Amino acid sequence: MSQMNRIEAVGVSLPHLCISTDELAEAWGQFSGAGIDEKRVPAADEDTLTLAIDAAESALARGSVPKADVSTVCLATTTPPLDTEAIAPRLVRALGLPSSVSTRTFTQSTLAGLQALDSGVDADGPALAVAADAPRGDPASEDHPFGAGAAAFLLAESGSVELLGSASHVDELAGISYRERGDDELRGLDSTSYERTAIRESVTNAVERLGSVIDGSDTDSSDGSVDEFDASTVDGAAVYQPDARMPSRATSDLQIPKEALARGTVVDRIGDAGAAGVPLGLAAALDAAAHVGDGGTNGSDGRGDDARTLAVCFGSGGGATAMLFEGSVESGFDAALDGGRSITYPEYLRQRGYVGTVDVAGGGAHVSLPTWQRSLDQRYRLAAGRCPECEALTFPPEGACGSCHRRVEFEHVELPRTGVVRAVTSIGHGGAPPEFVEQQRRDGAYGVALVELEHEGESVTLPAQLTDTDTETVDVGDGVRAVVRKLYEQEGLPRYGTKFVPTP
Amino acid sequence: MTEAYVVGAGQSPFGSFPDESYRSLFATAFDRATASVDAEFDPERIDEAFLGTLGVGGRQLGLSGPAVTEHVGLHGIPTTRVENACAASGYAFRSAVAAVRAGLADVALAGGYEVMTDTSSDHTKWWLGVSGETEWERLSGTTFSGVYAQMASAHMNEYGTTTEDLSRVAVKNHGNGARNPNAHLGFECSLDQAMAAPTVADPLNLYHCCPTTDGASAVIVASEDVAFDLSDDPVRVAGMGASSGHVGLFQRDTFTSIPATRRAADAAYDEASIDAGDVDVAEVHDCFAIAELVAYEDLGFCDPGESGRLLREGVTDPDGDLPVNTSGGLKSKGHPIGATGTGQITEIFEQLRGDAHTQVDDPRYGLAHNVGGSGGGATVHLFERTDGGDR
Repeated sequence: MSQMNRIEAVGVSLPHLCISTDELAEAWGQFSGAGIDEKRVPAADEDTLTLAIDAAESALARGSVPKADVSTVCLATTTPPLDTEAIAPRLVRALGLPSSVSTRTFTQSTLAGLQALDSGVDADGPALAVAADAPRGDPASEDHPFGAGAAAFLLAESGSVELLGSASHVDELAGISYRERGDDELRGLDSTSYERTAIRESVTNAVERLGSVIDGSDTDSSDGSVDEFDASTVDGAAVYQPDARMPSRATSDLQIPKEALARGTVVDRIGDAGAAGVPLGLAAALDAAAHVGDGGTNGSDGRGDDARTLAVCFGSGGGATAMLFEGSVESGFDAALDGGRSITYPEYLRQRGYVGTVDVAGGGAHVSLPTWQRSLDQRYRLAAGRCPECEALTFPPEGACGSCHRRVEFEHVELPRTGVVRAVTSIGHGGAPPEFVEQQRRDGAYGVALVELEHEGESVTLPAQLTDTDTETVDVGDGVRAVVRKLYEQEGLPRYGTKFVPTP
Repeated sequence: MTEAYVVGAGQSPFGSFPDESYRSLFATAFDRATASVDAEFDPERIDEAFLGTLGVGGRQLGLSGPAVTEHVGLHGIPTTRVENACAASGYAFRSAVAAVRAGLADVALAGGYEVMTDTSSDHTKWWLGVSGETEWERLSGTTFSGVYAQMASAHMNEYGTTTEDLSRVAVKNHGNGARNPNAHLGFECSLDQAMAAPTVADPLNLYHCCPTTDGASAVIVASEDVAFDLSDDPVRVAGMGASSGHVGLFQRDTFTSIPATRRAADAAYDEASIDAGDVDVAEVHDCFAIAELVAYEDLGFCDPGESGRLLREGVTDPDGDLPVNTSGGLKSKGHPIGATGTGQITEIFEQLRGDAHTQVDDPRYGLAHNVGGSGGGATVHLFERTDGGDR
């Protein structure tokens, strides 16, 4: 049997938009999300799929495992774009992974993120584990702490971070955080002291059980008792974090150092990211371990390659899972936090779709499902055709060569994901085609550019929306980078494709 | 091959007419066209009809051509509905001339019709987007004005064209349209107004965009054998050019020119054995202000990048060397998609016979330029005054 996978690379995706929780406090007269200063807001064209794609692209770019070698994809989210219909295939297609990959989807509980990671470590061959979440709730209450984000872990035998062991505790603990069938908003019965106790006990049980599963730990077999795991030795700890106080509350029976908890707590800056919360905390803690000695004053704390990082999550519904890692890896977490745009509360309500959604009736310019399906490689991977006769590129790669107009069999070319704006406009309020009315209501005016992409001395131009930018600031000649975002919905199904964001 | 002549032309008023149908609007245009024929004209002399429409709003998507010809009493004649977006009736006219030149018809009718203002704005938007490239351009969220705005951004970047240049198109064309009783937006506007209007698709503002319009137009084309019997002063079709191009702007190798216009113009000048310098009056396709500027360059009125200067110097004013869009153009006269091409020809017919509302001084050659979408199709037709004197 082959060795277990280790974490080879980590990618993080956080929405570009953020909101200060002071805005929420001002809007509602109070804010229920202890210790959360700011949170990340998925824009109208972002959802858990687009965040997952972005995080996974980043992990793949940071690692050295070729896409063709990835054989397993483990995806976790409690807020998939559709209640029924797997999103893992969309992730696989958008990333350009082999169609032979095995996909596993984890959902229904905040535990999903660690379950996906655990499953990916166990997988036979290189795997990608991605947790992406964007919980929703009543704006007056449950919504207050909710943020969004995604963390992706590229897993391979060659990785630098080893899973020393994982352990779980399962119990029925209903009512702490749940979503009824057919509803898209989370609720909680809000029985505070009961919840705190239940969460603390679950977490404690799972972490203590690590003692029996970690390689090299002492198990006293003579009397059948098991050594409890000593949490005071960890350098980082990403603990269930629906708010910023919960990590210390949930682990108050354990002796986790304060600094270790701080390294793995990100909810204060991104909000409650549901099943992606602990994976994001883990990404931050592993990154911090990789930067030990970068001018740090912590001396012996955080021992780089020997650093031990704990990830422990409480699962809505009951139970907890704990995982202990050794090693460090850069995830770019801090860089992902940089450069967000702060929005007001009214804009927050629009971007998240609490207001401004609209059903638009069908009409002309209908693009059928089979037609759309045939274009997926072009939508996601910027697949173009190179003319074998004149070398020129044609996009989309169909029909006669756009340059010499001969009917040729195009050579498949994947265009680079950075290019230059050659023409640009912005579509203001009220001006959007029907498919884009809701996006414009929620996200405001948007830019549409003709973007030139070069490949081996030839170039081709394609039309695409600009996103994550003020439309007024993009000019002809500016550089842009491709991202996958939601384009529009047809017949109730979201359709995704490439948009561009300005490069600095 | 016989020569073809325009012996009659007319248009309905362009505007918003909730009491009219596409059939009744066409009847008005048809009656005006037949009335403009100098001799007594029996509509039964029309052998065949070619009618342009996009079919905005759905309506009679199939067989709307016969629905119109039967409505005006042209019973039984072969009728072909032509769809080439905004160039539909430019192409319908081409077909009518071809039928006459080929000897298939002694008299052929070309025309167009469109009703655009009677549906909700949401419904209308579905229809305005259908002539752009659908799968990529439209689904990147681009509107029709957006595509031309992209052209404007490229033109501004490459040649230093300004918002003021764009606004001067509106000022000139509204000035002309204010004298045209058939114009949809027949009022003058100042440069300040045209500069300060709300943005539609940056850098284009409201005054840089034509309206959506109801209207119809009709042109009667006759062979040499009958033209001089029907008309004291028929207008000769001196040159025809038409060309197609990629439907999506992104698919073309230039964003500052419409190659289909250039090819159509080359063909038309070639057939007429004249060049741009011989043109005395022109109707060009100014669906957006940038389109008129680009048309100057593509039709050879000036070098690339010089269109703003041409306009600033008054060359294309009614009293300039080459008056353009004396009718008010699409901007002021209006743009009922299928009716626009033959509506432009109606203006040129009137100019060359001395009957125009903004009459140019003694023109000999006139040009009509019609574009479909953002350049997926274009026609250029050249006309020559005959003074009835060829016979």
